[in-house]
Amino acid sequence: MTTLSLETTGLSHRFSGDAPVLSGLDLRVPERSIYGFLGPNGAGKTTTLRLVLGLLKKQQGEIRVFGKPFAENRMAILPKLGSLIESPSVYSQLTAVENLRVLQKIYRCPPDRIGHVLRLTGLADTGKKKAGRFSLGMKQRLGIAIALLNDPALLILDEPTNGLDPEGIIEMRELFRELNRQGVTLLVSSHLLAEMEKLVTHLGIIHKGQLLFQGTLETLREGRNGDDLETIFIHLTKKRA
Amino acid sequence: MTGFIHSFGSEWLKKKRTAASLLTVIGSILIPVIIIIARIDDPSALAVANGQPRIWESLYNRNWQLMGTLFLPMGVVLATSLITQLEFRNNTWKQLCTTPQSLTTIFLAKLAVIGVMLLEFFLLFTVGIWLTGAVPGLFFRNVAYPAEAFPWKAVLDGSARFFLDILPVVALQYLLGLRFKNFLIPLGVGLGLYVASMIAVHWRYGYWIPYTYSAYNFVGRAAEKFHTHYWAAGYALLFTGLAYILYITRKEKG
Repeated sequence: MTTLSLETTGLSHRFSGDAPVLSGLDLRVPERSIYGFLGPNGAGKTTTLRLVLGLLKKQQGEIRVFGKPFAENRMAILPKLGSLIESPSVYSQLTAVENLRVLQKIYRCPPDRIGHVLRLTGLADTGKKKAGRFSLGMKQRLGIAIALLNDPALLILDEPTNGLDPEGIIEMRELFRELNRQGVTLLVSSHLLAEMEKLVTHLGIIHKGQLLFQGTLETLREGRNGDDLETIFIHLTKKRA
Repeated sequence: MTGFIHSFGSEWLKKKRTAASLLTVIGSILIPVIIIIARIDDPSALAVANGQPRIWESLYNRNWQLMGTLFLPMGVVLATSLITQLEFRNNTWKQLCTTPQSLTTIFLAKLAVIGVMLLEFFLLFTVGIWLTGAVPGLFFRNVAYPAEAFPWKAVLDGSARFFLDILPVVALQYLLGLRFKNFLIPLGVGLGLYVASMIAVHWRYGYWIPYTYSAYNFVGRAAEKFHTHYWAAGYALLFTGLAYILYITRKEKG
């Protein structure tokens, strides 16, 4: 039986007065996988990730992380979890090192993790430059460095390659693969289908708050005459439109 | 407790190079500097004044009159709003709320940082008051250091009262700053209530407005039938409790 790092059962959510954003979502993220979470704009990807992280109050359904209910075990789960949701969260008046120090104090991780994650994300030479003066790509790298700071077992990344140049995208892909080889489970939401195809081991395709597919990349490709992910994705989402 | 200390350290680091941090230092020394310049500009009065038996009381009142009625409430409105807006402006609430600390710890650590900044402000201002007496004499041979010893106990006692009187402003601004993403709302409400309090300071029910208390120290209301310091403490507790409930029951954490 596959061990799951993250599991949701019947997860539903609606913002007041609006139609449901999520309807009975059963997400299964296997341990040590790179799980690509795909869907068109407004499909419910970010809402799902925000619910999983406790940023939105859960209305219906169950969320289990590392096999434990999230709400009841929040303080035990969060030290093993890293995240980057939407745009990177950085204090613009602080340097990259200072931004990481703000979080290092809370995670109480060794101070040398700061230098380590800065090297991993290619920000080791930013020196005294304030994060507010970083390019979007550099901010994104800093957001990833923040997510990696506590040496997480599960990394939740929403559009992690936003703002990165092609070289940066390749670097991050290699970094994510390396982290996965070291045992980290990654849940990555992205619009870049070609990029996801090169990265993920498992996929979840969401459309209008419902999962259209969930499984390995190989399973998705079965019987589709060698179609690429983009073609399959468009076929699946249009069929349900 | 260890968690709180780490959280406080983290919050303290965040305020580095912020406008709130700059405001604390500049705001605390501005009035003493102006008074020092004004005293140096009038050397004939200086020698006489420094020989007066109640020179420190006179300097204390001169400093606190402007500070208590104008700079302190306005500075607190601005600094508290700036500190809470730091998370909104940098889009960092979502990161903060996914760190392994309880919402109560986050709430208290931020509030404690504002409290310590306020103490820092009071400390610098008290040193500033002392400098208004000590510095001008250094520029003139015929002007001696004030004859009277600096009344530390009375000054600290007075400062403690101002500190207590400003706490409801801190608490309400904290509530508004945590609640509203738009910086103009806490700032507008704070400045609006400050103006209202200045208009209402002589009104018999003026003490209902929590922004009036530091000004009451100069209009004699504190000694009247109602004790404004108790009202200040009550409002501070009420607003802090309300801010806490609103904060931990938010549907969206970041």
